[in-house]
Amino acid sequence: MARRYGHFATAEDATQEALLAAATRWPEDGVPDDPRAWLITVASRRLTDLLRSEQARRRREDTVAGLTLPEQWLAPAADRPARAADDTLVLLFLCCHPVLSPASQIALTLRAVGGLTTAEIARAFLVPEATMTRRISRAKQRIKASGIPLAMPPAGERRERLDAVLHVLYLIFNEGYASTAGPDLHRKELSAEAIRLARLVHRLLPDDAEVTGLLALMLLTDARRPARTGPDGSLVPMAEQDRSRWSADDIAEGVALLTAALPRGPTGPYQLQAAIAAVHDEAPSAEATDWPQIVALYELLRRIADNPVVALNHAVAVAMVDGPRAGLDLLGALEADGRIAEDRRLHAVRAHLLELAGDRAGARDAYLAAARRTTNLPQQRYLHARAARLTDDREAPRR
Amino acid sequence: MKYMILTYASQQDYDGMAGRPTQEPVWSAEDFAAMTSFMASFNKELEDAGELVETRGLTAPVLTRRLRLRDGVPVVTDGPYAETEEVLAGYWIVECESFDRATEIAARLATCPAPAQVAARAVADVRPIADSAADLEL
Repeated sequence: MARRYGHFATAEDATQEALLAAATRWPEDGVPDDPRAWLITVASRRLTDLLRSEQARRRREDTVAGLTLPEQWLAPAADRPARAADDTLVLLFLCCHPVLSPASQIALTLRAVGGLTTAEIARAFLVPEATMTRRISRAKQRIKASGIPLAMPPAGERRERLDAVLHVLYLIFNEGYASTAGPDLHRKELSAEAIRLARLVHRLLPDDAEVTGLLALMLLTDARRPARTGPDGSLVPMAEQDRSRWSADDIAEGVALLTAALPRGPTGPYQLQAAIAAVHDEAPSAEATDWPQIVALYELLRRIADNPVVALNHAVAVAMVDGPRAGLDLLGALEADGRIAEDRRLHAVRAHLLELAGDRAGARDAYLAAARRTTNLPQQRYLHARAARLTDDREAPRR
Repeated sequence: MKYMILTYASQQDYDGMAGRPTQEPVWSAEDFAAMTSFMASFNKELEDAGELVETRGLTAPVLTRRLRLRDGVPVVTDGPYAETEEVLAGYWIVECESFDRATEIAARLATCPAPAQVAARAVADVRPIADSAADLEL
């Protein structure tokens, strides 16, 4: 077909459709005497149709272009909503639709709205490119089959649907920041992409306090990235980070965004988390951190969005204000919570608080318990090193 | 043609890398950093050359689950390996022009920095991959 008619891509489409027609008709009508000739005839007809409709589309576009007023070619005035911007939002709402699984929402968002190729997304999530291609096309089919219109969600659903969009961006950011797997290089792209997308949504909805809060949270967290790993690639806990390596520009931008958002209200979980990040970022050292302020913010956060990880962080902050025993008391309640009882973080926090409380043997056992609950080698090395520091006088008599 | 390069390690080796004390000395921070940066640049070069199809590292052997049929029913055994038994630790699938080229790639792994006792017993295998049913002449 391509040899006879040129138009390589269109010829390919036409041939595909001819093969499809053969697959549906031959079982019923029987295989024609000359199957090859049949396919070429059908494909040629189809090619003619495709080329005609392509010409018609161009004519229509030319007509529309002719009818467009010169001013409509220009960027809209600031007080007029931009059409293209609305399209991007509609697309984001669609990609993050609740009929899709989180993995599909993330993949589709990165592909359709983000600036990553399928190959890059596949690399970042450590799956073969073919798998990611299929995940994305499945997601598209799912949307098509569920009949969701490509339109702005009705006003009544918009808040909920926007929350879904923000959650997807938050997951993309965390995937890149927490670096649970894979070579660091490819993961950083994810955080950067999440920040870019959050900036985009913020530009489209500048008055939404939670959108602003999420962007601020990302910037205030990402600001610490340069100090998070040592020269040997090991993880450095926040208390021991070289704060002069934190990005002052990101902190300043994050704080400014948050300061503008907070009075606007209502205060949601992203703004509260951003506020907590800002208190850390503005402290000259771990000791000089305004811990009572952090405790208060965690208490607010627990009131609107409680989960075991928030409760764990709250316990750490309480320990910094009222001493390690107060923090350990709060951990007691979490040990019965199946969602986190087997989580490395719970055991690592308990180890840390036991160490602060002077219980070296208990702390050592808890560090080892935490190490057993992670498969990440740098994390294991960190936890074993902590345990080893407490080993020397383990057999020594207690004073 | 595609080839698989396989490397092996025991639970004891994994403990050393994770900084968990065994009879052998654990990897120092410098040892570990040198190894990870070697692997990052090794993988990057293979990727840039268009020869890397996929590479993965496996977690510690102690996390293995082995399935076996007993009276026609699959039975699971956790951590079936002895402490010093060498088992698959990671692999690379490369697509390159010849078996010799794949061997050359695998030979570069010999230059990966590691504590002396680990380097002394390190081995790598290179095996051609059966591409499809047609290659198998099924």
